[in-house]
Parts: sequence; C-alpha cells; structure tokens
Amino acid sequence: MRKISILSLIASLFVSTFVVANEVNVFNARHYKADSELYSKFTNMTGIKVNLINGKSGALEKRIIEEGADSSADLYITADAGRCGAMDAKGHLQSGLTSKAIKAAVPKSFRTDKWVGIAKRARIIYYSPERVTGAELSGMTYEGLADPKWKGRLVIRKSSNIYNKSLVASLIENNGKKAAAEWAKGVVANMARDSKGNDRAQIMAVAAGEADIAVANTYYLALMLSGKKGAEQQEAAKKVKAFFPNQNDRGTHMNVSCAALVKGAPNKANAVKLVEFLLTPQSQEHFTNNTFEFPMIDGVSPSPLVVNNLGLDFKQDMKTKLASYGKNQAAALEVMTAAGWK
Amino acid sequence: MKFNSWYLSSFLISFFVLIPIITVFTSFFESTSNYYEILKNTFLIEYIFNSVALLISVLICTFLLGTGTAYLVSFYQFPGSNFFKWALILSFAVPPYIYAYSLTAFFENYGTAFTILKSLFGDANYNKSIPKFDGMFGAIISISFSLFAYVYILVRASFLYQSQNLIDLGKNLGFSKFKSFYKIILPAARPAIVAGLSLVAMETLAEFGAVDFFSINTLTTGIYNSWITFDDLAFANRISFFLLLFIFSLFILENLSRRKAKYHFNSRGGFKQKEKLELSGNKSVLAFVGCFFVFFMSFLFPLSQMLYWTIKFPENLFDLQVIDLLLNTLYLVFLSSLVLIMFSLLSNYGNRVSNNKTLNILSTLSISGYAIPGVILAIAFITFIAWFDENIIKSLGFLSIKKIFIGSILGLVLVYFVRFYSLAFNGIKSGYEKINISVDESAYLLGFSKRKTFMNIHVPFLRNSLLFIVILISLEIVRELPITLILRPFNFETFATTAYISASEDLLEAAAVPSLFLILIASFFIMVTSRYILRESND
Repeated sequence: MRKISILSLIASLFVSTFVVANEVNVFNARHYKADSELYSKFTNMTGIKVNLINGKSGALEKRIIEEGADSSADLYITADAGRCGAMDAKGHLQSGLTSKAIKAAVPKSFRTDKWVGIAKRARIIYYSPERVTGAELSGMTYEGLADPKWKGRLVIRKSSNIYNKSLVASLIENNGKKAAAEWAKGVVANMARDSKGNDRAQIMAVAAGEADIAVANTYYLALMLSGKKGAEQQEAAKKVKAFFPNQNDRGTHMNVSCAALVKGAPNKANAVKLVEFLLTPQSQEHFTNNTFEFPMIDGVSPSPLVVNNLGLDFKQDMKTKLASYGKNQAAALEVMTAAGWK
Repeated sequence: MKFNSWYLSSFLISFFVLIPIITVFTSFFESTSNYYEILKNTFLIEYIFNSVALLISVLICTFLLGTGTAYLVSFYQFPGSNFFKWALILSFAVPPYIYAYSLTAFFENYGTAFTILKSLFGDANYNKSIPKFDGMFGAIISISFSLFAYVYILVRASFLYQSQNLIDLGKNLGFSKFKSFYKIILPAARPAIVAGLSLVAMETLAEFGAVDFFSINTLTTGIYNSWITFDDLAFANRISFFLLLFIFSLFILENLSRRKAKYHFNSRGGFKQKEKLELSGNKSVLAFVGCFFVFFMSFLFPLSQMLYWTIKFPENLFDLQVIDLLLNTLYLVFLSSLVLIMFSLLSNYGNRVSNNKTLNILSTLSISGYAIPGVILAIAFITFIAWFDENIIKSLGFLSIKKIFIGSILGLVLVYFVRFYSLAFNGIKSGYEKINISVDESAYLLGFSKRKTFMNIHVPFLRNSLLFIVILISLEIVRELPITLILRPFNFETFATTAYISASEDLLEAAAVPSLFLILIASFFIMVTSRYILRESND
C-alpha cells in the first residue's frame, strides 16, 4: 500500500493539470514586459486565463509544426509579418481571425484573415549628423544603400535576421529578384564591418564613429533615449539622427508585430477576443508608451519620445502587402547569402 | 544467462537511453529536401570549419589555463595557493552563455568598460580604443574560461598522485624546473590531460548558448538552424550524424585514456608525499598574479558584471518572479535526480547480478548520451515521439500521445535522463566497485533475497556517492539550456531560459538578474561538493 501511494505521488508530480478551463494558449515570441502586463489586464477583464510559452520565434514555430493538428497553441504572437506569413505558407494557420472590430481597426494591407498586425514599426536609416550631410541624404531610398558613395560607411545586422529578410523581401516584391540580388552585392560592398550584433548595436556603431549610417527599426532609438538602457546609451542615442527613406515614392518600409491564429486552435473564440483586446485604444497606448512601436489603430499617438525624436510626419509604404514578406522570404535569404552578406 | 527481472529492467533502461541515438542514425538515410541544396552545401563547409576552428582554439586555451594553474597549485606554496586550489573550480558556476553576456556587456560600444573609462578620465569617445570581444573570438574566450576547470581538476588530481620520486628524478638528472615540467611531469599527466581535454571537446562541440549568442554557425547551431530555418529535420539529422561520429571518436579516445589514467592512479607503490616548494619574492607574486588572473576572469568578472547590472537596473529584479523560477528549477532538479538515481541504481544492480556481456556493452553505449548535444537529443526526442505517435499509437486507434511527451515535465525529465544518465550511472558504478562481490555472496548465504541485499546493504553503502551524484546532476540541470528551451511546458521558466530569452531579445540588462541567481545557486552546489571534486576525501 505504501508503495502504491509513493508511486502515485511521483506520478502526480509529472502530471500538469489537464482540466479544461476558460483559457487561451499563446506562443509568444515578444518578450516585452509590457505585453505580460496587458495579458493580466485581459484576464482580469474577461476571466480568460492567458497561458504563455515564451521562446524565440523559430523554436516556437517548430513546436507548433511538430505538434501538428494536436497543437495546443491558439495564438502565435511574434515581431515580424514575415514570420506570420511564413507560417501561413507552411499551412499551419487557419482563417477566422476576423471580426468587425478587427476589420475596423486594422488597414487591409496589414492583415489577412489568418493573422493581424497589432503594432507597427518602420525599418529606417540612422545617420551621424557630424559625418553625413543633408545633401548626401536628400531623396535617399533603400535602393540607395547600394550606392558606392556609402562605401565603408554602412552597418546593418546579419542576413539571418528576420527584419532584414522582410526588408529585402519587400525590395524583391517592388523591384524583382534580379535587381535585389544586385542591390545586396552593393550593400555588402558598402559595409563598414562584417555584420554583427543587434539593431541597437548598429545605432551605437554610428554613435561611436565606426560607421556613418545604420539600418535599424524605429523603436530602438526611442528605447535608448528613454534611459531604460542606461545613461551612456542615452548619450549615444543623441549622437545619431533618424531618416525615413523612400519618401518620394512608395514610402518607408513598414512592418508589424503580428498575432496569428494557429490551425487546430482549441480556444479559437478566446483567441479572437484577445486580439480584439490588443487592438483597443487602451492596449495600443500601452504598446506605444512601453515598447515605442507605432500604434496599429488610428486615434492613438506614438510615445512623445518617438514623436519628438523621429518625427511622425512620414509617408508609410501602404502599397506593398505585408503578406509578401513571408512569400519572398526564402528568395530574400538566397540573394543576401549569394552576395556574401554574413 | 539468466533472464530475470533485474536483467530485463537493466536492459530496458539502457535501451531507452539509446533511442535518440538510434533515431539520429536512422534518419541519416532519409532524403533531404533539395530546395536549399546549394545553400546547404556552402553552409555545411562553414559549419565544419567554424566547429573545428572553435574546437582547436578552445582546446589550446583550456590546456594552457588548466595545466598552468594545476601545476602552480600542486607543486608550489604561495600566498593564496590554498584558496585558489578550490576557488578555480567556481568557474563551473558560469555557463559559457552567461560568460558571453558579460563579455558583451563589458566591451560593447558604450558598455561597462566605457563607463569606467569615462568616470576615470572624463568625457571622450573611448569606444574605438576598447577591444571588441565578439564573434568567434568572444565565443572562444567564453567557452575556455567556463570549461578549463575540467582540465584543471583532472590534471591536478593526477599531479597530486605523482610520486615525489619522479620529481626527485628530474632533480638528480640536473633538469631545470621548466625542463622537468615538460619532460617528466607533463608526460606523466598525459592521460589526465587527454581525459580533461576530451570532456572540453565534447562540451565545446555541444555548446549552444554562447555560440548562438555570437551568431557563429557551428555544427550544433547548424543543426538547430536547419531544423528551424529550413524545416529540414533530415538535414539536421544528417549534420547530427557527422557531429556524432566526431564525438564518438572523442568518446572512445577519452575512455581509452581514462583506462590508462586509472593505471597511473593505482600505481602507488613507493608513493612519497610531495613536498610543495615554497615560492618567495617575485616568483610568488607571479604565481599569485597568474592564478588570480584566471580566477578573476573565469568567475569574478562575470559575477561582478551581472551584479553591476542588477544594481544599475534594479527594476528587473522586481519584475522577475524569483521564487517561481527557483521552485521550477528545484522541481526539475528533484524529479530528475530521483528518476536518474532510481534507474541507475536498478541498472547497475542488474548489471552486477546478471554479469552479462551484452548488457555491459549496451550500458557502455547508453552512457554516451552525455556526449550528445542537448539540441540533438531534444530534436531526436521530438522526431521519435512524432514517429511513434503517427505510426504506432494512431494506427492502433488510440488518442495522440504527443501532448504527454512534448511540452511536458515528463518529456523534459526523460530527455534530461538520457543526457545525464552517464553521470548517475558512472557515479554509482564507481561506488559499487568498492563493494566487494563477496559481500553479496555472504548476504545470499545468510538468506537475503536479491531485493533485500540491494535495499539493506547496497543502498546504505552507496549513500555518499549518491549524494555527490545528486549535486552533480543539480549543477548540470541548473545550467542546462537547449533541452529546457525546446521542451518545457506552458508558463514554465527556469533561470537559464529567462536569461537566454532576455538576452536574445536584446534585453541583456534583464538577463543579468536570472544569470546572477544561476551563478549563485551553482556556486553553492560547487562549494558543497568541492571536497569530492578535488578528490581530497578518502572517497
């Protein structure tokens, strides 16, 4: 008898609760603290428990794929439309992430019926005002990054990075694969050093004088300016300026953090509710003030740090469909790798 | 041959541990998708080149650091030599990935080095004059300082048992100290050096966190990336196969050298207690500086960088659910040790009573799990479960078992089991070797059943070894990253995963707090066991 009770005790240690509950399972690749605060607010409001598994997007996607139809995931939340698009292309998402509220809140090019943008960011150029003149930058485009005048002056992170894959995917969508391949070669020739480090490291390289221009997402500069990264980085951020490319044609490359509805989601209705909640003005304000992203919906203003230091008055690329980022992702990696982009 | 229940259980345990290894080998022959064929060939060459470059550099560094410090503390007396003797093993508390975070935090543009220079000498752009330890160079440093203690511990143990006669021999031959070091002392310690270096080699090849942080493509990260980026499990398994071949040759080398090492330890005939030379003046300062440098770089530096960040960004301390993380970590440690100890005892006892050749070979093979990178084990586990579920469970009409094994504590503990089985198995085996088989025979004569012999005689005898093994397992699990990362359930984090995720999301400051806790917990485990690790007890 004693043996049985010990065995059952051990067994019970392994068993997590299998009770069906009012919940939504989120595979979360965004680890901003702000997000978890929002999830608890959601639980308080609706009584729906948010179960999180945090991880890097690649690993999370893999688990969804391996678990297949039996996956417990409802929503996959990650920081690039390219990732949501790729999951869709592999057939692991399902349609149904639509509702009146979602349609009213999010512009058409920023959603499909399987995934929805929840916050926006732009991938822009940062420059040193000491070493780059206004004339040099005038009319600057992403295409212009390959111009030999930037030789030895440009830093940008690795080709394996999803933000770069999506940027190049958008160039393929607009200019064709052949032109993008030529462009990638030009960019590699202009690099001040082999690609390394994250977006913030690129901005700091410009501040430290290692390079004159850098490509990085918008919220990083605001994050550095906020002082959350320490006084030194705040100082460093003041040494660089932001520039929004392609203002005279299609507009600046935009991307989103997206929420995608996973195939076989056991709590589909709750998933839709959570996405609707993330698109309310209250949640959007929470995003803009904590992660320094641009709001997805109209009527909410970005953080003052973003408005004052980056400017708000820029033309966004609303023409290029974000769904193309996922579609052209493999081709984007191919042209970058072929160009010798580390 | 006796097919009793002991034999059977012992057989089953070894077989279970072998499953992931078999999975990797069988998938080698599956065709890979040809979508990325050209890219993959370029990548494969890069992976192999990087792995080899990393391996050779780390081996050189750990050899120099490990034997150098071991030589100093074993043969000489100088200020702090008794302290360094055990303080040097504290480096085990800092896994390579946390070392990598510290290195970056200190040397990056506007990092800690910049802050120090600025507060000392005022405003200026120091960034360009601060060296950057990133990429391959950073990975080599991180791994070397974190792993050199393998060499240090084994070589020091071998020095300890080197007879004074050997050293006297050098003196009689009129050798200089340097000459007797590399002509006599070093060659005599060769088996220990080889054993230490092969452990370093296995860990280096399996290293995931630091290498991934510095975005270097090695075979191990290549396996992970091809699985993730290219959706190509077959290609991932193919790289694993190459890596495994490599590791198995190391494994065999290590086993052979260990056999020799044993021979050395046992030849204690004419053993004369060594007299440590007392160093004075410049020489003692040099020895002190040398050891302090290694101790500082391997332990104090990462510890203080993490501490500094925790103080500088205190909000991260309050955000972290320390109690939850601690409980989760302890929960895993407890369950895994329990399972590992129980089954290793069983299997060892099974081997002992059945004394069967097949079983011996099988159990020797099954302890190779330790040599297989956690990434590969986790992926092989998922592959196997998915295959088993598709082909056997579902075709028999049962419900899917995937959820029971993937993303559950059970799955996590099972894979830990495979990975750390050798630690437990070997530990218990060496404990068992000290219980003479005649003890068993006497017990049987007294009418004890096998079970009673096991419970009432063996287990109490083994208590000390068991305690030591539990601590070793705990140390490994506290630091373990890739398996936990891939297989953990919902809402379940450990210090290691929290640190890794924060770091990979460009929140290095937030990674400091969990890293700090991890270092402290691991240091605690090390201090508890230092006596055993340094082999100074009668054990």
